[in-house]
Amino acid sequence: MPAEVKQEQSPSNATSLAMMQEPQEVVEETVTIEEDPGTPTSHVSVVTSDDGTTRRTETKVTKMVKTVTTRTVRQVPLGPDGLPLPEGTSPLSSYTDSIDRRYLKNGSDRFITPQATSTLTRAYNNSYDSYGETPESQYIRHYGLHDGYADLTDNYGSLSRGVNFRPPRYPYMPNSYRPENSYTLPIRKDDYGHVAQPQVPMGSSNVDLNRSQPERFQPEPYGLEDDRRSLGPEDEEPYELEPDYSTANRRTLPGHNRGRTHREPLRDMHRVRVYPDDPVEAELIDERHPYIHGMYSAPLAQPERGSMASLDRMGGRRSPSIDSIRKDPRWRDPDLPEVIAMLGHPIDPVKSNAAAYLQHLCYENDKIKKDVRQLKGIPVLVGLLDHPKSEVHRKACGALRNISYGKDNENKVAIKNCDGIPALVRLLRKTNDMEVRELITGTLWNLSSYEPLKMVIINHGLQTMTNEVIIPHSGWEHEPNEDSKPRDAEWTTVFKNTSGCLRNVSSDGAEARRRLRECEGLVDALLHALQSAVGKKDMDNKSVENCVCIMRNLSYHVHKEVPGAERFQDPSALQAPGSAGPQRKKKDDAGCFGGKKAKEEWFNQGRKSGENDKNFDTLDLPKRTEPSKGFELLYQPEVVRLYLSLLTESQNYNTLEAAAGALQNLSAGQWTWSNYIRATVRKEKGLPILVELLRSDSDKVVRAVAIALRNLSIDRRNKDLIGSYAMRDLVSNLPSGQQRPAKNLEEDTVVAILNTIHEIVTDSSENARSLIQAQAIEKLVAINRTSQSARETKAASHVLQTVWSYKELRNALTKDGWNKSHFQPAVTVTPKATKNGKPGYDDTTLPLMEKNQDGYTTIDQRAKECKYKTDDGSADPTEREPLKNDTNRKHYIRSNRPAVSLVDACDVKPQPVDSWV
Amino acid sequence: MSFIPGQPVTAVVQRIEIQKLRQGGNLILGFSIGGGIDQDPGQNPFSEDKSDKGIYVTRISPGGPAEVAGLRMGDKIMQVNGWDMTMVTHDQARKKLTREKEDVVRLLITRKSLEEVVSQSKGRNPRP
Repeated sequence: MPAEVKQEQSPSNATSLAMMQEPQEVVEETVTIEEDPGTPTSHVSVVTSDDGTTRRTETKVTKMVKTVTTRTVRQVPLGPDGLPLPEGTSPLSSYTDSIDRRYLKNGSDRFITPQATSTLTRAYNNSYDSYGETPESQYIRHYGLHDGYADLTDNYGSLSRGVNFRPPRYPYMPNSYRPENSYTLPIRKDDYGHVAQPQVPMGSSNVDLNRSQPERFQPEPYGLEDDRRSLGPEDEEPYELEPDYSTANRRTLPGHNRGRTHREPLRDMHRVRVYPDDPVEAELIDERHPYIHGMYSAPLAQPERGSMASLDRMGGRRSPSIDSIRKDPRWRDPDLPEVIAMLGHPIDPVKSNAAAYLQHLCYENDKIKKDVRQLKGIPVLVGLLDHPKSEVHRKACGALRNISYGKDNENKVAIKNCDGIPALVRLLRKTNDMEVRELITGTLWNLSSYEPLKMVIINHGLQTMTNEVIIPHSGWEHEPNEDSKPRDAEWTTVFKNTSGCLRNVSSDGAEARRRLRECEGLVDALLHALQSAVGKKDMDNKSVENCVCIMRNLSYHVHKEVPGAERFQDPSALQAPGSAGPQRKKKDDAGCFGGKKAKEEWFNQGRKSGENDKNFDTLDLPKRTEPSKGFELLYQPEVVRLYLSLLTESQNYNTLEAAAGALQNLSAGQWTWSNYIRATVRKEKGLPILVELLRSDSDKVVRAVAIALRNLSIDRRNKDLIGSYAMRDLVSNLPSGQQRPAKNLEEDTVVAILNTIHEIVTDSSENARSLIQAQAIEKLVAINRTSQSARETKAASHVLQTVWSYKELRNALTKDGWNKSHFQPAVTVTPKATKNGKPGYDDTTLPLMEKNQDGYTTIDQRAKECKYKTDDGSADPTEREPLKNDTNRKHYIRSNRPAVSLVDACDVKPQPVDSWV
Repeated sequence: MSFIPGQPVTAVVQRIEIQKLRQGGNLILGFSIGGGIDQDPGQNPFSEDKSDKGIYVTRISPGGPAEVAGLRMGDKIMQVNGWDMTMVTHDQARKKLTREKEDVVRLLITRKSLEEVVSQSKGRNPRP
């Protein structure tokens, strides 16, 4: 199920899971992540449409089922009459030994008849394969066996309980108890799929369970169940293994989810039923019915249909086992209201079983999730989060995680509305159980994908998540102990989930960013984690991706939003925002690079860094009296090296994009720090790294890099270097008019590249010359004339006009066969714009430094960087001169006509132009 | 043969090389073209797909260089000297065909009969 969580978050997955993806988050954060490393894709296909994430969930579910089964076994002996086994009895001798083993292992109870219990378990553990096609019948046989033991079971001591129970047990299930079906507990064959799973060391979970169950309880059926339960957790721990399980399950299961769902209810019945199924009760069944009946039948719409009614409602076809069950009217699944009612049952195992069953039912089933919500199950589950027993809150949390997953945001809101978020956070503080923490953070991750909940999560959980998860797992220490050496980050699931959640909430606008930046220790810990990732060369995982994305989001608009930012504003920016101010120019020219443009220089920036440093010193760097911490770390030049390392080493497109985006954000704006960042990127030899990434296959990476280059070229020196050495790579990403380049980049990317080119050629005829030499004019003209995209057309047109404005270049251009008309705005711009329904947002067409950020920070996309508009005053000629364009167009057409008439053409239809050549 | 603008097209094409003929002061090819992305594709009598804005050969002057080279009325011009013609304006196409300095144009064209022949065998897709 954690996988589920990821899915939501990760847009990358989106391809496979169209259904599951969350619109924004996916894009925002996860975009790239196709799958988590742990999830083998190959399985996916088996699973059908789900992606890896989904699979995991399933697996878990299955495990739960397993547990159930075990219980059932025991019960079976108890209620002989309930047994649905016509085929009767074949003692499975083969199982015997296993039985013993199992028995010994658990060592729990002398009360259970060894055979009964162990046999079943055995069946479990045996790979289902051995059962071949007819696992069911096997089970039935088991039952037969158990029958023999029925009397033994009586020893359980549950007898008295059965009697006592009933009244209190049912108070919560006003709706739907159906008398007929109540008692038999069928074993589900499907569950055996799990058995095939590698046995995980049982130790820990068993121990826990035993501990939690004092000896005296063991005689009780519940105690036993708990013992068995240990199977569940044990299985769940190793996520890596899960895919295997799930495939196994799949194989066993003939069909798809629906079928499964149906069958599972049966198993669950067992769980649920555990309590009533004491032997005594079994005897009493007939008497019981009336009681139950009176109590529950009323609300049922279709009482006459008995158990099948509920099955049907849950929707789907019946499995054969169900049919066999059907023969016995006392068999049925609990229906949803019943399960929800059981959440309030006074006996804890019942609660946890019901929650586990709910989790299972909800898996990939939006309908059930909705039903649970409408039946008011969510508040009950949230209530169970505060339950002292770990088994209970664990299962409740698991159910909530599944419910919170998916595109139905109502479910998320429902969790929030009953204060589920604070409850989850509370539990996170309280529990040390890794699995529970994974569930909690997974749930929070799911919740964080819904915009309106982001702030709620920040309000309740930010500091807790930071303190409980991010800081400890990042390896960062507040006050490093001298003795201890620095710790590395641990890429745990909990860390991954939590960072994913923070990544989502970090996109919720300026206030969210402020809160995260000011959250004590968060930025420090994230940076530490990333540095440790770089150190270990382990940069492709999801956790790193999440961290970089958070950093990128927090870096957005630092120059405006950080406390005290005013003090660092670049005075020159006030005069000429966005452009390469004369002051800066002078400064840079004074530097060691003045005018040199050898390729060597480009690649050997580092060598000159000594001189360069001098240069930096002349920049009025804010004096640092103490080591920076917290949000200040976001924009210290030291981070440049970190991001460049990620850009060099990571293979994860999302990480690459985010790292480039971070540089893009940091190099935007006019304040001292961004000046320094821009220079540092150059000094750290970052420009070639970025240029190299222009060749990336990933659209987003190219886009982020292009925009970063654009921001970096605010620095005059960078502009010269980029103009000299990046032009060809930029141009090669442009569609050529004949056909798109192999990459087939999206419109946004093409526009970003065009805008970058525009920035580079602005104020630099040298760069414009490079542009011409890179054969760009042909492409630009083609885009200008023929692109289907108004934004591309416009951006190309800006570049062309800028190029044409350099009179010294016109001669060369004319020689190449170009004339003024090629550099004029394209004819069709205006109509296109309206046709596309994009009536010219200034900011979509104008080059915006941080345009790319829109994806990440959904909120203030429109508000940013107005200075570009002023700066680029010339940028929008097409809008200014639509009329001219129109005439222009007519001119073109008219000029064709003569050709036709010259031929004294045959068809003189005015419309279709026809030219002799 | 329909296609999505901007996407690669698979088509059976034939190479045709036309030697321009100097006639008076002009170099002529001896055929006329219609179509282009700025034209109304619905009026193109030759296209199967009436949204096809490609460049089509509308007429051939008898005995002219185009006829000699094997060009036929109704052929769709895919490329001219390597330049894509499937997504150009009418005038762009005309200019590409009539460049003064080029004496030879090499066309990639496609026509229905070509498609049919190939589809009988197995269907290859020469890449432009």
